[in-house]
Amino acid sequence: MKKIKGVKISPGIVSGPIFYLERGKISVPGHFIGDEDFDSEFERFNTAVQKSKDELTQVRDLVLDHLDEEHARIIDVQLLAIQDEDMIKAVRELMLREKKNVTWAYFEVMENYEKLLLKTYSQFFKERTSDLKDIKKRVIHHLSYKKDFLLPEIFEPSIIIAEKMSPSDLIHIDHKLTLGIITRYGGVDSHAGILARAFRVPYISNIDVIDELVSCGEIILDADNETILLDFTDDVKDSYKSRIRDFRRHREKIISGKVANSAKDGTPYHIYINAGFVDEVKAMNPALIQGIGLFRTEFLCIERNAIPGEDDQFKAYKEVLERMKGLPVVFRAYDFGRDKLLAMLDIELLRADNLFDEWGGIGFLLDNPAILKTQLRALLRASVYGNTQIMLPLVMFAEEVVLTKNMLEAVKAELKSSGIPFSDNIKLGAMIETSSVLDELDELAKHVDFFSIGTNDLALYLIGSGRTLDLTKNYYHPKIFQAIYKIVKAAKKAGISVNVCGEMASDPYALIGLTALGIRSISVSSAALSAVSKEVSKLDVQKCSELADTILNMDSAQAIYSVLKNFYQDNLE
Amino acid sequence: MITKNVKIINKHGLHTRPATAFVTLASRFKSDIFLIYNGVRVNAKSILGLLVLAVEPGSTVTVEADGVDEVEAVESLDKLAQNKFNLE
Repeated sequence: MKKIKGVKISPGIVSGPIFYLERGKISVPGHFIGDEDFDSEFERFNTAVQKSKDELTQVRDLVLDHLDEEHARIIDVQLLAIQDEDMIKAVRELMLREKKNVTWAYFEVMENYEKLLLKTYSQFFKERTSDLKDIKKRVIHHLSYKKDFLLPEIFEPSIIIAEKMSPSDLIHIDHKLTLGIITRYGGVDSHAGILARAFRVPYISNIDVIDELVSCGEIILDADNETILLDFTDDVKDSYKSRIRDFRRHREKIISGKVANSAKDGTPYHIYINAGFVDEVKAMNPALIQGIGLFRTEFLCIERNAIPGEDDQFKAYKEVLERMKGLPVVFRAYDFGRDKLLAMLDIELLRADNLFDEWGGIGFLLDNPAILKTQLRALLRASVYGNTQIMLPLVMFAEEVVLTKNMLEAVKAELKSSGIPFSDNIKLGAMIETSSVLDELDELAKHVDFFSIGTNDLALYLIGSGRTLDLTKNYYHPKIFQAIYKIVKAAKKAGISVNVCGEMASDPYALIGLTALGIRSISVSSAALSAVSKEVSKLDVQKCSELADTILNMDSAQAIYSVLKNFYQDNLE
Repeated sequence: MITKNVKIINKHGLHTRPATAFVTLASRFKSDIFLIYNGVRVNAKSILGLLVLAVEPGSTVTVEADGVDEVEAVESLDKLAQNKFNLE
């Protein structure tokens, strides 16, 4: 038997065969197109090319505005290739000659170019196949309602092995057949990681021996213990059987019972869910939950590799609100941090660059008013279908909220004059996740209805750490708890509500600390929901609150960790 | 129709950015423009065609233009190559 150690990205344990995910090995079925349908079929292609071109132009403008000409030029090659006249001519000729559908013809033509590039003498040219794949993905979206031409088809339940997983890979793979994921590159706090946890797919990264695994038969992926097992005997397999079965059951049931709405001593407690996809929301039963505390709207862009238009956004927001049947849904305005922007662009060459650090948050949106305005319009239009709340990401200054409110009022006036209805009871909140905003909490509180603490970024700002590194140890840092206490006090003083929506809230020990400091509302991933709900229902808030002074007076993360862990062991286990 | 031999003196040959610059400039002309390299002739307004040629650094390509602005086209493209596509 052989054991390989890795880093846990998403918990769980599974066994199964390997599926090596090789990009670009996709075949598109061809089917007959009669002469009478040729024009409309080819017109579909022209429209897809035009839409792809528009999207890429918007992306180019963004890169040009916020980076420089040099980076925008990286996109130029794709812009030229997407509308290449020879390619379009070749597609047309192939369709006419073979009397087949345009998606098939487009893939044939593009694959031929890929083959020719791979035959060239230089690595430099061979690598351009990644541009061709990016383009193909974009055009195919506009050609097909189905998403199944993007990734190879998985035929049986398998553990996927790949060099890396992009967020859009994770969205488009068949979740029913994906038992687990193993990659060479990937981080805990990466967006692919967040998605894997949302979809409850066990995931281990930092595995250097991908090649060795590819040739294996059945393996056991024990993400809980950060281990991969191969070449094992039946006895070993039997010893894992019950854990594997338990995990499968856990994965299958979405939420077993109603989410707790109060702690053990009767103190009211709100537990909301973090989500980013309409598909994720579809799997939720509104009768059992309390609402969505964070809907990451930028995931719509990641899914599409572009910023969707107003109508596409409206449809997505409307569906989420309707599914939630009047429960609160907090839509966070686009947060294009570096990682999310790269995930959206999904352009290989940009991925390697480190220049996007300045992007993100409401500041970015105010710099790009057209994007913000379109999103606010879509949200307002959808607002009549449920309990809509809007939250602004990465607020640095109270002024940013004022500017956004002005725009919101202008959009309302516009809608009113066009006779388009919207809810006049939309709550507006600010994410508290930067160090600079901690100095103007009182001023900020005057302009919003709630604060929501984003612990991932807050830890980054206060303590500093690479986003792809494991942040869990930082949750216990005294600076974090002191900051949270400050935020809770400011909210209380202003009479507004406060919520924690970072990963910290789903850490059982950290949850005790948060509650001790006065947090009574959290939002966690759906994967963590049932565990967190159980913990809250066992929590004596009164007793917990007695820890507050102790925590606030401690000066080491280790000491805080011990206190919280002891409390957990004495009271919750 | 006129032709002109053009030397590619860039470090990496006619790779992504020079090819992008070449196609962008060629597309501004009304003439049909072709690039011939190692006996293969491709449309100079097609980025994909140019990339698969994988023109090596130091090599000579033939630019062929046919149309109302053929002289200007060939001269401008030659100048662009001489200036290393304004990149280096």
